[in-house]
Amino acid sequence: MDLTSFRFAWFYAKSQIKTRYRYTFLGFFWNFLEPALYLIILSLVFSVINKMNIKDYAVFLFAALVPWRYFEKVVMSAMESIVGGEWLLKKMYVSPFAFPLNRWIVSSFELLFSMTAALSLFAFLKDDWSIALIIIPVSIIPWAVTGIGIGMICAVLFVFFRDVKPLIQMFLTLVFFTSPILFNKNIFTIDSIQGKIMQWHPFTYFAALFQKPIYLGIFPDMYDWIITTLISILSITAGYLLIKKYSTKFYFYL
Amino acid sequence: MKEIFNIQKVDVEFEKHSIDRRTLREVIGAKLNGQENDKTFALQDISLKIFEGESVGIIGRNGAGKSTLLKVFTGVISPSWGTVTRVKNKHIVPLLELGIGFQPDLSGRENCMLAGILMGYSPSEINLKMNDIIRFAELEEFIDEPVKNYSSGMYARLAFAIATDVNPEVLLVDEVFGVGDEFFMRKCIARMQRLMRNGCTTIFVSHNVDFLASQCTRLLWLDKGKIILDGNPNFVSTIYRSRQGIPPEFNEPIKNKQKVMVN
Repeated sequence: MDLTSFRFAWFYAKSQIKTRYRYTFLGFFWNFLEPALYLIILSLVFSVINKMNIKDYAVFLFAALVPWRYFEKVVMSAMESIVGGEWLLKKMYVSPFAFPLNRWIVSSFELLFSMTAALSLFAFLKDDWSIALIIIPVSIIPWAVTGIGIGMICAVLFVFFRDVKPLIQMFLTLVFFTSPILFNKNIFTIDSIQGKIMQWHPFTYFAALFQKPIYLGIFPDMYDWIITTLISILSITAGYLLIKKYSTKFYFYL
Repeated sequence: MKEIFNIQKVDVEFEKHSIDRRTLREVIGAKLNGQENDKTFALQDISLKIFEGESVGIIGRNGAGKSTLLKVFTGVISPSWGTVTRVKNKHIVPLLELGIGFQPDLSGRENCMLAGILMGYSPSEINLKMNDIIRFAELEEFIDEPVKNYSSGMYARLAFAIATDVNPEVLLVDEVFGVGDEFFMRKCIARMQRLMRNGCTTIFVSHNVDFLASQCTRLLWLDKGKIILDGNPNFVSTIYRSRQGIPPEFNEPIKNKQKVMVN
């Protein structure tokens, strides 16, 4: 990607963040308030289902829900980014990579805001913190890389087949509800179907990168790192190659 | 002379896909049955070189492929066949439409930055030019307003000011004159002439044949995706006018036929 496209992705992202809450009374503060309210509502509801103490459950839920929301946002917004970039792609030369990258930058800023919101909530919820927390900035890397990778794959598919949007939305919902993000996997026995699904679910390992240091106070183990790193490399390579291969055709399908 | 663009045997082919041909079901069905979409050529077998300092006008009836040709130059469209070579390290500024890249919610100043970046300049280079751009566009009072509140004239003035104030080395213009009031238009034309005098390579697409004949050093007549004539502006415009834009048949001789190729 050339320097111009890179600069464009960065400045366009900055202006999008700046204008998002431009006409609201609370302005910039909404960036923290919105995720905080969302997290509070979900933890109130699902602590009952999981039969857990609300304070305890909130910490468990926030740990993996914050990166999941980020991942979902990256995939869905990157998917629409190339089609949504028609206003520019049909008129001026910009690398098609600039559009998923731009969405990724915007979502990553949002992650910073929601992380800050979640961490400030934790201060009320949990008393003892472990040293394992220092791994969190590294734990986000596989989520971020897999997100942009899958987002780029979906972006190419969406250019040619507009049917994929609801399909991918459904698929992400399925992945979310079968993963141990919302449900503590300890509520299922290991031999039950639910228990087995969670054991083989790739997002069990992604979730572990956050749940282990935040909720359990331990470092993620080697399997968590190997599996998530492999999935990251695979998805970003596939996304890159797909855009590269089909970029000359985009003009005619936008 | 240095080549700015060199395109060889370029074809641009559009698939005609009507709306119902775009669903997943239809695409898979068509693949299985071995059907292909209807195709139509927007450009056919175009070979052309453009040199540094030239100002080239492109004329032709609606649908001749003029805008498509400009988009091939800028790289927005990749040709189905043929090769396109562009000069490296020169700022190529496309003015295919006024206000490309403008975001309605951003202020004039912020849009200036974004548009400048898209034209390949660094933020610090644009900051240096900012005051000149604002002065030329006559928008001192409104530059910090969101552009969605601009009148169409203000919008066009800002867009034109950005594109020409950044000192483009290659400028591609697609029918964007006739914006703003008469006096602003004169200012625009004067500025274009100054750019051309200073050696900026320009390519114009316009239906204003008189303007092109008087301003350009070379005129290109396109019809149905093919080059009909390429050469001296007065010669090409006279033939174009006398034939009312209808190209001669293949074997019919043109009076004074001399395809004055510049290269």
